[in-house]
Amino acid sequence: MTWETVIGLEIHVQLNTRSKMFCGCSTAFGDPPNTNVCPVCLGLPGALPVPNAEAVRLGTRAALALGCTIHRRSVFARKNYFYPDLPKGYQISQFDQPLATDGRVEFESPERGRVSVHIQRLHLEEDAGKSLHDRIPDRTAIDLNRAGVPLAEIVSGPDMQSPAEARAYATALRQILVYTGVSDCSMEQGSLRIDANLSVRRPGEPLGTKTEVKNMNSFANVERALLAERERQVALLESGQAVTQVTLLFDAASGRVQPTRSKEESHDYRYFPDPDLPPLVLSESWIEQQRATLPELPDAKRERLTSEVGLPAYDAGVIAAEPALADYFEAVVAAGVEPKTAANWLMGEVMTGYNESGRFDVAPARLAALVRLIDEGAVSHQAAKRVYAELLVVDEAPAAVAERLGLTQVSDTGALMQWVDEVLAAHPAEVERYRGGETKLVGFFVGQVMKRSRGKADPKGVQPVLLERLAAPGL
Amino acid sequence: MTSVARIAERVRNGGETAGAVASRTAAALEDSTGLNATLHWSRELLHRRAGEITERVSAGEQLPLAGVPVALKDNIVSTDEPTTCASRMLVDYVSPYEATAVTRLREAGALLAGKANLDEFAMGSSTEHSAFGRVRHPLDPERVPGGSSGGSAALVAAGVVPAALGSETGGSVRQPASFCGVVGVKPTYGRVSRYGLVAFGSSLDCISSFGRTVDDAARVLAVISGPDPFDSTTVDRPPIAPPEPPRDLRGITIGLPREYFPDDLDPGVRAGTDRTIAALKELGAELRQVSLPHTALAVPTYYIIAPAEAAANLARYDGVRYGQRRIGPNGDIRALYQATRGEGFGAEVRRRILVGTYVLSAGYAAQYYAKAQRARALIAADFAAVFAGGVDLLFTPTTPTPAFRAGEKTDDPVAMYLADIFVSPASLAGLPAMSLPIGRSDGLPIGGQLIAPMFHDEQMLAAAAVLERAVPAVEEVR
Amino acid sequence: MTIGADQVRHIARLAEIAVADDELPVLAKQLDRIVGYVAQLDRLPADEDAAPFNAGPESLRLRADQVNPWPMIGGPMAMAPESADGFFLVPRRGTGAEA
Repeated sequence: MTWETVIGLEIHVQLNTRSKMFCGCSTAFGDPPNTNVCPVCLGLPGALPVPNAEAVRLGTRAALALGCTIHRRSVFARKNYFYPDLPKGYQISQFDQPLATDGRVEFESPERGRVSVHIQRLHLEEDAGKSLHDRIPDRTAIDLNRAGVPLAEIVSGPDMQSPAEARAYATALRQILVYTGVSDCSMEQGSLRIDANLSVRRPGEPLGTKTEVKNMNSFANVERALLAERERQVALLESGQAVTQVTLLFDAASGRVQPTRSKEESHDYRYFPDPDLPPLVLSESWIEQQRATLPELPDAKRERLTSEVGLPAYDAGVIAAEPALADYFEAVVAAGVEPKTAANWLMGEVMTGYNESGRFDVAPARLAALVRLIDEGAVSHQAAKRVYAELLVVDEAPAAVAERLGLTQVSDTGALMQWVDEVLAAHPAEVERYRGGETKLVGFFVGQVMKRSRGKADPKGVQPVLLERLAAPGL
Repeated sequence: MTSVARIAERVRNGGETAGAVASRTAAALEDSTGLNATLHWSRELLHRRAGEITERVSAGEQLPLAGVPVALKDNIVSTDEPTTCASRMLVDYVSPYEATAVTRLREAGALLAGKANLDEFAMGSSTEHSAFGRVRHPLDPERVPGGSSGGSAALVAAGVVPAALGSETGGSVRQPASFCGVVGVKPTYGRVSRYGLVAFGSSLDCISSFGRTVDDAARVLAVISGPDPFDSTTVDRPPIAPPEPPRDLRGITIGLPREYFPDDLDPGVRAGTDRTIAALKELGAELRQVSLPHTALAVPTYYIIAPAEAAANLARYDGVRYGQRRIGPNGDIRALYQATRGEGFGAEVRRRILVGTYVLSAGYAAQYYAKAQRARALIAADFAAVFAGGVDLLFTPTTPTPAFRAGEKTDDPVAMYLADIFVSPASLAGLPAMSLPIGRSDGLPIGGQLIAPMFHDEQMLAAAAVLERAVPAVEEVR
Repeated sequence: MTIGADQVRHIARLAEIAVADDELPVLAKQLDRIVGYVAQLDRLPADEDAAPFNAGPESLRLRADQVNPWPMIGGPMAMAPESADGFFLVPRRGTGAEA
């Protein structure tokens, strides 16, 4: 008998602000420990939180992009627990009156085609600091640079049916958040963190006991960790044991999930409204203004690239995956390049460079100029790739680069005719055989012309000249 | 004792130097040692501060509080002496930043004159719950000065300083002002920044002022009030203007809430309020009997909300980043927390944290915290209804009895809490309220309370200034 | 309403406050007295729709997103009970890995 898997994800994203959620400290990543701290984020006696408008704006835009209902009035609450990297002994978060509820994310499931996952809520909160357990013997080292960094927590419904689907959902969500400029969504820098709840059941039975899986530091590891956890739960149940509610950590090296060993009390967070912060009240007009200024989202972009621009679905998917890529594509097209040609360049040379350097080193107009050289027959497609490689390092016009590298094609009939005549003169025997009916020797002659021109002859121009001269009597 | 206005005027126009005021204040602080009202002060610091004031006066700065000594309750952070909150937890803790109210006092030229003793973390009504010993009542060392701002009240009452800052959560300035026979003013919630006031019950906490007279207390409030970008709960209103009292109270309707005049009211207190009511009438005020039917809910409501907020506010004292640390038997992090907090907090603070934890914990929050929120709204609605009905101010006794004896209520926390029965309602409703001395009974001061509508701080102070002229503060009422 | 020693122990653990066994009975009695007193509010009818009372501003003021650290004298390590290399230090927690 088979098992059904039920997965929900809680995703924390760092909102793309310069300063922290409740104080003016920098959110910069990688600074020396405890340098971006002040009375507020250190939790000093008497300090008070002052919320960041940009965090509210970005959280609202994320929620709108996820189709959520934005609540005109939401409330910050205190979530009480003790942990050495939680300076105040409570986290300021939103509880029973979150910023937004009830949205959805649609995406292609690897197994089920197009699916829709319910977004239960999106709320704003502050991050805790960082505990380093292996830095100093027997000691946990605390760095509070992260403490107070603004986060949005996005909670999905238990709507995913496989680890691969969970990964696809997370990927789709990430795309939306990057598109809206809400977050960098860098898992390496901790600006996107994924926790999962997973349970299994027999078809038709009520939901099984769920466990929480944490510490999945890449999209691939989300899938790996959830596969491992599903396997663990199925093995337990099939051997007649029960699944217990537990939090597990994924170990990427071993590919296994391990229960956390600390004996936590059952969580009793004693939420109550934070008396330091009056309710967050947003006006309808402001919310509408945010909605109106949302950029085109990945789904709409893909749809437009296929139906309007005419790209194949695969190309549209690749190009729409990142807003930077899509923007670049559109700029190249706007500069006059035929869309499919632009797509081919993007998915080839451009993508390779972008993946290495994280930026586009050739301005769209220069790429367009290069493509124009191919269209005009001035350079071959092969030669153009060499020109492109040079464009990455020098600030020169593509035509000048092609010239300098001697890659410019000659399509001038007079020049071509001279090379053709020289080749035919040098190979009288082959000419004789051709004229005797061995017409496949055309390829040989073209090759010889290319060789004699040292690659400069435009192959498309060579053939008609060649056929014409071979047909001419008396040569 | 010279008034705040007079000292500032003399220092501004060179009639007296800030240094001379500092010397006088140092001598008075030394003489008052027996009160145990001050936790930190030093002659050197006083003179250094006086020197800075003198320089600014000579530079021609017009300082509204030039050279006026102001004591700070030791739960308001200042940067060049400790802020201990009268707790073992914060022995020797020196804040690396300054409270907004302190900055504003300094900028106004006030002479910061020591940190005053209090009930630990402002939790108490007698200043007996200080880790550094109880404060004595200036008129009778066997009695308490009230609390939790007992040190500030005693220093003003004893004439050591003309004014002081205290803090209110549920009457912690008005009640000791009443016990000590001085003026204590709690502004509307949100008119004075809490930035740098060590939090107890954040939705209730107000920095408040003490003075010998209404004008003294008001001049201090005028300087420290006004919106503050560092406190999201300050309201966008201008600073409280010092009162310009009218000749009388004609055209003013004063409500007398019957719930504040119970049959078992102390006879001395009743005699004092009777005389004051007669004076109000004579001043031309229209008097009206009113009812605030949910008054009896105030103390239980307060003792749910304040401890709940306190339990969270005091979670930061964990021995990790600052303050005292104890390691505990096992040496792990939880042992560290438990030992640090178990030993660092005194009995009353510990009780309140535990009560606050309990009323918010799973299974109890609906029964306690949610009901208290509901009751708070009802209490606030009572006041709003009376004020909407044409009443300008309410007059009540500040406390049910004069200052009680030390040790009298320490065994029964609830009996202690009931000392705040007339002061906690206005705190819950966020209203401006004040106590002023209205006479003495058997030599002990009696306080009368005025409560005003939200943001009517100025009108309250003006009426109080008229009343204070008409009611002798130190005369026996029986 | 009765608070017993077990309940005090549980709350004290939530609040991370050490309470010696011999203190438990007295503390339980005091807490029981306080909680018994405030329990009179239980008589109030529940009213889910009632708006809570908020003192202070009716809505939150937001600050512009500028890096502008609140003033502070000296570094955070100056106050730390235990520190090294710019980190606050605490005993390592338990044996298991922690999230």
